[in-house]
Amino acid sequence: MEEMIKLTGLKKAFGGVEILKNISFTLPKGNVLSIIGPSGSGKSTTLRIITQLEKADDGNLEIAGHTLFSSVDGKAVYCNPEEERQIGLKTGLVFQSFNLFPHFSVLRNITEAQKAVLHRSREEAEEKAMALLTKMGIAEKAKQYPYQLSGGQQQRVSIARALALDPEVLFFDEPTSALDPELTREILKVIRELAEEKMTMVVVTHEMHFARAISDWAIFMNKGVIVEEGNPDRLFGNPQEERTRQFIASFQD
Amino acid sequence: MQGLISQMLEGTVTSLEIFFLTLIFSLPLGFVVAKGRMTRIAPIRWIVDLYIQVMRGTPLILQLIFVYFAPFYIFGASYDRFTACIIAFVINYSAYFSEIYRSGLQSIDRGQYEASKVLGFTKAYTFFHIILPQVIKRILPALGNEVITLVKDTALAQTIGVAELFRVAQTASSREFSTLPIFIAGVFYFIMNYIVSRLFVVMEKKLNYYR
Ligand SMILES: Nc1ncnc2c1ncn2[C@@H]1O[C@H](COP(=O)(O)OP(=O)(O)OP(=O)(O)O)[C@@H](O)[C@H]1O
Ligand SMILES: [Mg+2]
Repeated sequence: MEEMIKLTGLKKAFGGVEILKNISFTLPKGNVLSIIGPSGSGKSTTLRIITQLEKADDGNLEIAGHTLFSSVDGKAVYCNPEEERQIGLKTGLVFQSFNLFPHFSVLRNITEAQKAVLHRSREEAEEKAMALLTKMGIAEKAKQYPYQLSGGQQQRVSIARALALDPEVLFFDEPTSALDPELTREILKVIRELAEEKMTMVVVTHEMHFARAISDWAIFMNKGVIVEEGNPDRLFGNPQEERTRQFIASFQD
Repeated sequence: MQGLISQMLEGTVTSLEIFFLTLIFSLPLGFVVAKGRMTRIAPIRWIVDLYIQVMRGTPLILQLIFVYFAPFYIFGASYDRFTACIIAFVINYSAYFSEIYRSGLQSIDRGQYEASKVLGFTKAYTFFHIILPQVIKRILPALGNEVITLVKDTALAQTIGVAELFRVAQTASSREFSTLPIFIAGVFYFIMNYIVSRLFVVMEKKLNYYR
């Protein structure tokens, strides 16, 4: 199978403190990977490095066959800025806090980057945006502003905004952590549908049942290392490591 | 009476010139100063910080006198009063505007920059299309206050002999033993600030379509 993400030996420190110690994983095209782990284990930092919001200190990363950085003498060496940008266009990120643009209408939130970055025409961008909004079940909100929407609707807009650029792989960083249970279900349904369409995704989440149900592979991180990984039924149903067991048990109520 | 009116009109034009020239230069310059105040390069940050502290910590009237007379005492060169007046106003107001911009820039959530980066917007695009519009909305009330102060501050230009409205009114007043010219000047400042504050209300309303 074709690899979408090939990450090896990723290291990252903040102010001398090693946050990521040696992170490696591969993600085949069309697969869904879930990453779980306690607060501060480095899940967000891992996603932020792959989506270029942070720089790696060391390691190798290939996205859809293109090398973003590779390890040379123990240091991550990045490709040139134009290649970085091109690779960036292959990845999309959905934030916990949505980060919609408050001064743009819902529609413009989704069309802006299509026009400014991909140079699509206004008609094309709007058509794409409306199709995505329809798919998200909020086509009637197109003319409204983010503050007029519920958290669940805002998160659906932000997913549509990311999808509008046709990323090859989409990252979710705790997409439901800011939402109440009912709205959480709305968003999980959307992500589940994307998984059924074989969208390649990496999902950081605390929704254990959901992660187990949708993912092809699951990773448990703790203190900057991957403690355990495996197919989700095994990782969630029969974890081998004590730390994993504790963590998963803490979610059973 | 005819002479008085035309004199006062001339003074008004000078006051308006000071007002608009100060805005034209200091509104954009304030952004440069704000950027300097927020830079990671420490020496630049210190210098800019000192400049802002001096501008805010000393009277504008003193700055006017200094800007006009310092070149004379230091280099023996004198120059146009009006130019000196504009320079003093611009460096003073740039400092004040920069602090307003800085508070506005710092109030924008980091997530706005991150979303922009992930969507592939360039830095310039992000600044002009995502960040700046939101900053403007937030700083408009503070900016309005400052612009109103500027209208009144133009009267200080008289300290270095610029014949703006207030000086003209004062001179006419003592010449004719009448407070009428002073009163007329007062009406002008009032109308001017009425227009300014209405303008800001309109702009704030225009930007009220989102939160
Ligand atoms: N920019 C930064 N500067 C300094 N430390 C940082 C920075 N970003 C993250 N960290 C630290 O790195 C560690 C890992 O953070 P990260 O956000 O990746 O954890 P996480 O697994 O996503 O946790 P959570 O479940 O709370 O979101 C934390 O201890 C955090 O304080
Ligand atoms: Mg996190």
